Amino acid sequence: MITTRWFCAGLLAAIVSSAGSPAIAATPAAEDGKKLFDGLCVACHGSEGAGGEAPSLNRFTLDRAPDDDALRSLIVSGIQNRMPAMRHLSNDQLRQLADYVRSLGRTPSAPPGGDPRHGSELYARLGCATCHIVAGQGGSLGPVLTEIGALRGAEYLREAIVDPGAALPRGTLSVPGRDLFQFLPVRVVTRDGREVRGIRINEDSLTIQLRDTSGQFYSFRKAELRQLEKDTGKSPMPSYKDRTTPGELADLVAYLWTLKGSR
Amino acid sequence: MIARCCKAVLASAAVIALGYADTSAQIPYQRLLHADTDPSNWLTYSGGYQSQRFSALNQITRQNVGQLKTTWVYQLRQPGLFEASPIVADGIMYITEPPSTVTALDVRTGRPLWTWSPQIPRDVITISAPSPVNRGVAVLDDMVFVGTVVGHLTALDAKSGAVRWDVVVEDNKHAYFLTLAPLALDGKIIVGVSGAEAGIRGFIDAYDSKSGRRLWRTHTVPSPGEPGSDTWGKESWKTGGGSTWLTGSFDPDLNLLYWGTGNPGPDLNGDDRPGDNLYTCSLLALSPADGKVKWHFQFTPHDTHDWDANQIPVLFDATVDGRTRKLVGTANRNGFYYVLDRSTGEFVTGTAYAKQNWTEGLDAKGRPRVRPGTDPTVDGLLTYPGLSGAANWHSPTYSPQTKLFYQAVKEMGTYFFKGEAKYEVGRVFDGGGFRQVGGDSASGAIRALDATTGKPKWDFPLLSPPWTSLLSTAGGLVFGGTEEGNFLALDADTGKLLWDIQLGGAVRAGNPISFAVDGKQYVTTTAGTALFVFGLP
Repeated sequence: MITTRWFCAGLLAAIVSSAGSPAIAATPAAEDGKKLFDGLCVACHGSEGAGGEAPSLNRFTLDRAPDDDALRSLIVSGIQNRMPAMRHLSNDQLRQLADYVRSLGRTPSAPPGGDPRHGSELYARLGCATCHIVAGQGGSLGPVLTEIGALRGAEYLREAIVDPGAALPRGTLSVPGRDLFQFLPVRVVTRDGREVRGIRINEDSLTIQLRDTSGQFYSFRKAELRQLEKDTGKSPMPSYKDRTTPGELADLVAYLWTLKGSR
Repeated sequence: MIARCCKAVLASAAVIALGYADTSAQIPYQRLLHADTDPSNWLTYSGGYQSQRFSALNQITRQNVGQLKTTWVYQLRQPGLFEASPIVADGIMYITEPPSTVTALDVRTGRPLWTWSPQIPRDVITISAPSPVNRGVAVLDDMVFVGTVVGHLTALDAKSGAVRWDVVVEDNKHAYFLTLAPLALDGKIIVGVSGAEAGIRGFIDAYDSKSGRRLWRTHTVPSPGEPGSDTWGKESWKTGGGSTWLTGSFDPDLNLLYWGTGNPGPDLNGDDRPGDNLYTCSLLALSPADGKVKWHFQFTPHDTHDWDANQIPVLFDATVDGRTRKLVGTANRNGFYYVLDRSTGEFVTGTAYAKQNWTEGLDAKGRPRVRPGTDPTVDGLLTYPGLSGAANWHSPTYSPQTKLFYQAVKEMGTYFFKGEAKYEVGRVFDGGGFRQVGGDSASGAIRALDATTGKPKWDFPLLSPPWTSLLSTAGGLVFGGTEEGNFLALDADTGKLLWDIQLGGAVRAGNPISFAVDGKQYVTTTAGTALFVFGLP
């Protein structure tokens, strides 16, 4: 039996995926590495490692894989609760995949179009800092954005602004092997009629923990609630699709993309 | 009070009352045979040969279970998955720790008495296991038996942990490894193997308990000319899988051993193995004397979804159509609950106990009426149950009091991808890939089924698809856990939550058991990297 419970699309899936990248896939080995990457890794790490739900890989230094040995080991072993182990790769395939990932960091990634300075002004004007922290400044209701440009690609950032509910981060709740949504809007009504709206901080089969917009923390036993509603597919953050012009949206993405933290 | 007892219990209780454990630890076969009359101890993986994981102890009840407190906690020596089901024998608890360590604990305090670890090479092959694990030991006479991830079966002196004998079951270089708790019979130790994801050819072995000499081997995939060999194509039988990675059951009256078999190899691509692929995904009834297969029942012919049938076969007797019958019940990974006549293998009934979309149901003989086009595809096909199955290796429980079969059920689908399958020794041979539909789209339940009909009686919903084993007790309780770390007690009649505690780590599978010492009943579970023991104040 296969007991691994993570995404582990097989090699054929890798082979049938064939988006080209002439700048990187210059040699047959590199092309093989890219095919493997597109089949196994692209769904989370984004095209050419630009970042998606999982961190970008087009950086010279990878936090968890400082050298080639560490990278190969990481691919084989995975990261508990976050990244599947790729134990089925042959040694050649492992080398090809690791070489390709390394090549991503040697190729300067082009910044997305847009004016980051204007994007920064928009960030302030639109009140993003009410809910997000950048470099220690801002509110803490939403995800910290200090190094969001290093962790996520431009495409993901754009989607998160236009349709936040579709791009809820997943996978870091303290539930082993579970990629539950973070920042999921929840509404509860207690038996005495008290209503609380907030985002899910954590949950188990018997209890749920919330935080409301003021930052107040709540913990409930589900058996003590009259109602528990989870707004799956929604986000506490409104869509900014109709609040920004296409140009402004591009500027905002360009600004977020510059946020690399200390990396 | 304790429901039943026997002289052995009284004798051991007297010893333990003096404040020390009886390290002579003599567990003759007769005690294993009558484990159900010795509820102060927990002598086999599932508590007895019937594998009901039921405790006749009734000191902890619906009324007082809310008072349970932690008595002691044991932490793993090194990180890993804690998947052992403890054995308790005369004041000593025997557990295994990953990867294949055996530890004896003072059952009154949790303090270690001895520990033994085999040498494990860094390149040990444990393909398909999330990490090297072990699910427990068997005890017989004055020895403790453990299968190891390096493919050995080792007998240890129960007093000291010293090695009595050690044999190679099969070469780990060819991806054979052992994670199951052996089953001890009269002078025999029965084991199975893991490794079907690497194209092994599965088998069940019997070893002489005194010498370690192999007595017989029964392959689960026939070679050319043997019965069932026509259900394989070309040379596919050589890498046909059918691993035997979980402990079976035994009926001493029928003198039959019941053992489940795993998936065919390669898992997700059946192109090169046309036919039913006997005896994969089956339940085998074997003669313990020579290993001959007396009957078989295949749940999932020509499986392409990794739906092993290694789930614990639970033996019970019940009246069917006015006739008392010897039955075996099992909640299969493929989403159906089956009841078979354990004398003959005759199909009695089968019913879906979880969401499934791969069949139109079962025919009169229990064979699935498979919907066309449900095999894995290159682009991926969403199928229920998912790869992990509606059930998996975690144990169900059967209560002879309620006549209910309790199962932790996963409600989760998987996109199955078909891929190439090229056999290389010691490497993954699964023929595809998968993507689980997890997150907030998946859930689970502890589900009570009428054991004879499979009809659902009650449900206790769980947030995450569970990996918890269950324990039922004569106190009218069912114990189990959650992936999020809850350990809980339910009313066995109604499913009502009566007690719970958050343990801070997944109950996977927890393998709850119950035992008594100093006249007090205790309940155990593992969670995360620790073993917890609970008792009344």
